[in-house]
Amino acid sequence: MNYLDYLTSNSEQILFLTQAHFLVVLIAVGVGSAISVALGLAVSTGEPDPPRFSLDWFAAGVREGGLVFTAALLTVPSLALYALFLPFTGLGVTTAIVVLVIYTLYTVLRNTVAGLTTVDRAVLESARGLGYGRLRRLLTIQLPLAWPVILNGIRVTTLISISIAVVGAVVQGPGLGILLINGISRIGAANSFYQVLTGTLFCLVVAAVFEIFFAIVQRLTIPRGIRV
Amino acid sequence: MSETTDQPVVETPHGAGKPDMIVLEGVEKIYPGSTQPAVSELDLAIPQGEIVMLIGPSGCGKTTTLKMINRLIEPTSGRILLDGKDVTHVNGDQLRREIGYVIQQGGLFPHFSIADNIGVVPKMLGWDKQRIRERADELLHLVGLEPSTFRDRYPRQLSGGQQQRVGVARALAADPPVMLMDEPFGAIDPITRERLQEEFLDIQRTVGKTIAFVTHDLQEAVKLGDKIAVFATGRLEQYADPDTVLTRPANDFVSDFVGGGAAVRRLSLVELAHLELHPVETDEAGTSGATGQGTAAGSRNGVAVAEVDGSGRPVSWRHLPDRDAAGTPLVTVPISGSVYDAVDVMLDGCASLVAVVDEEGRAQGVLHWNDLVGGLRTRQGHA
Repeated sequence: MNYLDYLTSNSEQILFLTQAHFLVVLIAVGVGSAISVALGLAVSTGEPDPPRFSLDWFAAGVREGGLVFTAALLTVPSLALYALFLPFTGLGVTTAIVVLVIYTLYTVLRNTVAGLTTVDRAVLESARGLGYGRLRRLLTIQLPLAWPVILNGIRVTTLISISIAVVGAVVQGPGLGILLINGISRIGAANSFYQVLTGTLFCLVVAAVFEIFFAIVQRLTIPRGIRV
Repeated sequence: MSETTDQPVVETPHGAGKPDMIVLEGVEKIYPGSTQPAVSELDLAIPQGEIVMLIGPSGCGKTTTLKMINRLIEPTSGRILLDGKDVTHVNGDQLRREIGYVIQQGGLFPHFSIADNIGVVPKMLGWDKQRIRERADELLHLVGLEPSTFRDRYPRQLSGGQQQRVGVARALAADPPVMLMDEPFGAIDPITRERLQEEFLDIQRTVGKTIAFVTHDLQEAVKLGDKIAVFATGRLEQYADPDTVLTRPANDFVSDFVGGGAAVRRLSLVELAHLELHPVETDEAGTSGATGQGTAAGSRNGVAVAEVDGSGRPVSWRHLPDRDAAGTPLVTVPISGSVYDAVDVMLDGCASLVAVVDEEGRAQGVLHWNDLVGGLRTRQGHA
């Protein structure tokens, strides 16, 4: 049996696993990004150096703490994190998605904070001087101007998630990880190498689809005046 | 003037009669963590329709003062009145929508088109779309930008000078009676800055706003201001018209700040149009037709005669009283300029006299170098 024969005879399974992989990553990145962007907006401060004990001062504390915490989570080996969640969420999709969401947090939060804080001071000052309240400033000035940076964070986290999602197969999560784990555990047996190869190649296909998706999103959501 | 005239250094010969639009009463600002007030016990009244230039060295409190007027910075104590109404405790965002605000780099929103940038305040005030669009076009026109070319562009497609014009248009959008300007021309190249200043004065003649304007450039303050407020470390040292600040500084600080060049700077206050100039006659290639302010045609004693080209523009001196006409280059200065411009032209052209010309380039009179030291005569009935 050559590789093409393998692909054609298993096309249904491969297609199914690729779709599942795509969906798991999409859901996890969607949920994770929503959380991170919302958190980033909530703890953004109007002033770069807020006075002590003011609301902004606490927000800045939460922001820095959140960044350290999510960074720490990102360094936990994925194999361990999946295993650690087993007692709580059991085998299957839930654990796969929850763990993946955790891995998306840091990159998006970091980029959201960076994007919001690097908006031109002069722009924010003139907005304030023209009578923009804080929320209006945040949502109509800061967020659109920070959006390219935020979107880049989401894009990076998506690529990372595609490979981490593979490990989800150890808790019976859906996706191409099943092919890989299967192949590796039977290495030497018939078609085992083809399974590993297919799992890897179709991860690239998923990544390519996401890249196309993000190129379109970028085109549609980045305001014309700041497009590069 | 209102009841706030107890300031020690206020001299307001022109302002009398006009009601005060902006009044600061005993305003003080102490920043958190600082013991020294940034602005202390400040009383300042700006009459309606006047441009007041706030000037002083860095850290003198001029920007803090400006930003307290629209409460971008909240005063620690004191009262702020706008058009007689106490605004010290009203909603800051609402207040700021009623006050025009222009900052140094323009501060345009990069993701908004030019028309949308101009329309931000009207939009917040709930104007309908059609009216906002018409207003944006009207203002683009006012600041000298063609609406059809510029309304759909984005800030990054504009030069610094154009962006600053849009910044001014945006501040004027909802027709606020008061404008605050924080070094609006500070980051612009000198040539463009000068043009923007001229245009700014033109616009002000049309709109007649009450303007507080922060600058660190004395030249700019003298050129644009109806009054100048000189600040030193949180205190108002002198508040008077430019001429008074230059010629009669209130104290050593102001005289140091104004510096040694005061007499030269004052020249930019004297407009050529207001001066009694020496008469000039013109000759077109051989014939002797006299125009301008010459008394009698053909009388060449004591009257300068310039040779003009076909369209009436002087090209060289034909006859000059008491000097060699051929050896004196002919330089011209527009009558809309100041004596400062005339001196500049004379120095530049190594000429001891300059022909003052009107918009069409025709000679209107002559200014001699000696007039500068002999005393300039102002024309009667030409205020």
